Amino acid sequence: MLEQQLVNGLTLGVIYALIAVGYTMVYGVIELINFAHGEVYMIGAFLCVTFITALGLPFYVSMLLAMGCAAGIGVTIDRVAYKPLRASPRLAVLITAIGMSIFLQNLAMIIWGSRPVPFPQDAVPAYLKETAFTFSGVHLTWLQLFIFAVTFSMMLLLYVIINHTRMGTAMRALAQNRTCSQLMGVNVNRVIAFTFALGSSMGAVAGVLVAVYYNTLSPTMGYVAGVKAFAAAVLGGIGSVPGAMLGGIVLGIAEALGAGYVSSLYRDGVAYAVLIAVIIFRPSGLLGKALVEKA
Amino acid sequence: MPKKFLLPLFLAVALVFPLLPFANDYVLHVVTLVMVYMVLAMGLNVLPGFCGLLDLGFVGFYGVGAYTAGLLTVHYGVSLWIMVPAAVLNGALWGVVLGAPTLRLSGDYFAIVTFGFAELVVLFLTNEIWLTRGPLGLPGIDPVSVDLSFLNPAWIYEFEGERPYFYLGLAMLALVYVTMRRLEDSRLGRAWLAIREDQLAAASCGVNIYAYKIIAFGISAGVGALAGCFFARWTLFLSPDMFKFWESFLILCMVVLGGLGNIHGAMVGAAILIALGEVLRVVLPQLGLPNEARFLVYGLIMIFIMRFKPKGFFPKIAAAGEANPLIKRLRAQLEQHGGTSR
Repeated sequence: MLEQQLVNGLTLGVIYALIAVGYTMVYGVIELINFAHGEVYMIGAFLCVTFITALGLPFYVSMLLAMGCAAGIGVTIDRVAYKPLRASPRLAVLITAIGMSIFLQNLAMIIWGSRPVPFPQDAVPAYLKETAFTFSGVHLTWLQLFIFAVTFSMMLLLYVIINHTRMGTAMRALAQNRTCSQLMGVNVNRVIAFTFALGSSMGAVAGVLVAVYYNTLSPTMGYVAGVKAFAAAVLGGIGSVPGAMLGGIVLGIAEALGAGYVSSLYRDGVAYAVLIAVIIFRPSGLLGKALVEKA
Repeated sequence: MPKKFLLPLFLAVALVFPLLPFANDYVLHVVTLVMVYMVLAMGLNVLPGFCGLLDLGFVGFYGVGAYTAGLLTVHYGVSLWIMVPAAVLNGALWGVVLGAPTLRLSGDYFAIVTFGFAELVVLFLTNEIWLTRGPLGLPGIDPVSVDLSFLNPAWIYEFEGERPYFYLGLAMLALVYVTMRRLEDSRLGRAWLAIREDQLAAASCGVNIYAYKIIAFGISAGVGALAGCFFARWTLFLSPDMFKFWESFLILCMVVLGGLGNIHGAMVGAAILIALGEVLRVVLPQLGLPNEARFLVYGLIMIFIMRFKPKGFFPKIAAAGEANPLIKRLRAQLEQHGGTSR
């Protein structure tokens, strides 16, 4: 029982980590809590379903297409809403971000309806539903293995991009000092757009994975997941990419254990409680700035 | 017309309003709702408007106030006049408890903590069924009554219909309005504005930033609880759904629309958005859209206001600094000499 909870929590946690990375990267680069990120995650899932049902595309292709579209949406959000306010006070951008989040959520509600819809089952490869391994009572489905494989390859890709490409170097430079990196010839707006694209495509992947895992998606899914992923980012130390990964996993496990052993009614409450506790007692997070460079 | 007659005129119109022929129950209900939201908007305005802190969980305090009032009435039959201070204090207490550890941190964290708090309030109200009856809601709250029967056995008056609540709401609105105006012009208000404009400068002028922020949060939370208290005794029914994040967002939208830090603006914003909400409630179903879609409009309003009119649609007509001829001349001189315009 405990082991099964741990496995389920870990599955959830790596997905949170995938969303949290989007929050933390944007925060690292422009110091903005991008509240609309949860909505990008939700729209990614809906786009994938639309590609499957309306265009009849296979699952993996739809997922890749949804990633691409989400990247475009992320860049558009930045262009339309945040870029004109780069010089404004922080409060103005934060309010815009909230407005954007609400706007996108309701737009999705108008386009796709406000009721939860199931993920089209016949599009999902059948073997994903089967149990891959069973040892000492713990069931691990192929779907869970698929989720682990996708998230870890994404994280690896992210690691390579941030640490071993010119763009990644520019991102890190921007995180340290925007003016100075501009003086060194970094095209600031292009780097910010790239950050949004990267984070949004990861959010979309997470959305698709969650929709398949729970077999349901709704326009409000981004709201709760967004807050939880943000809690994960704060838990790991906002601005730190490894922190977001760690935070996501810790939060996922804490939530599964909390729901299993304390009270399933307060399942969502675990994330909020962790969030408030971390902010109050250790605002720098698990891997705070002292330990990890901003990436 | 001179500006000093404006306020008495408004008051006179408001006092006569319920007696007018077209003021039926529906109109009075909507106008009373507008007044509740005016109070809420003024309460929220203290944080983003005066102090520059984003509060995303204002509705949490509204809920705390409403449920404090509702539960005290249902279980103990407490009179409104004792309950109001109790609910306000309870709201303010939560504000201080929540604010004390978080206001030392940057504003972003504060926004998130308030958000988390409001969500926890809703979860608590939904799940602690033994106390709040959970999603079933809390019915059977007594209406307000004025009980002076200890002076004369006949002097007891129970509120019925919308009209007495309209006047009670007006009294609450007037109280909060006057308090806010006085606060704005007080030492406290000036300290808040200084914090909003530049924390570092304010601190070096001897403003205790931390203390003033906590006071602001406490006052804001108290006003939220006051409105909640009125709301509970007015609608006579509470349910956790009434205190979800949407409400916080709506109130924030009112403040943004009216111009951050502008008391009159917040009131106008409340009136516009409630009226808009009533119109959209009729229009949206005709277009075949769900009722929630009105938030699409609110979201757009927020984005566009911040983009094109960050001071809101009703910016202060004469903020002290802008009207002062000395400051005007100084600014003109600075610009002439190629200095910064700020």
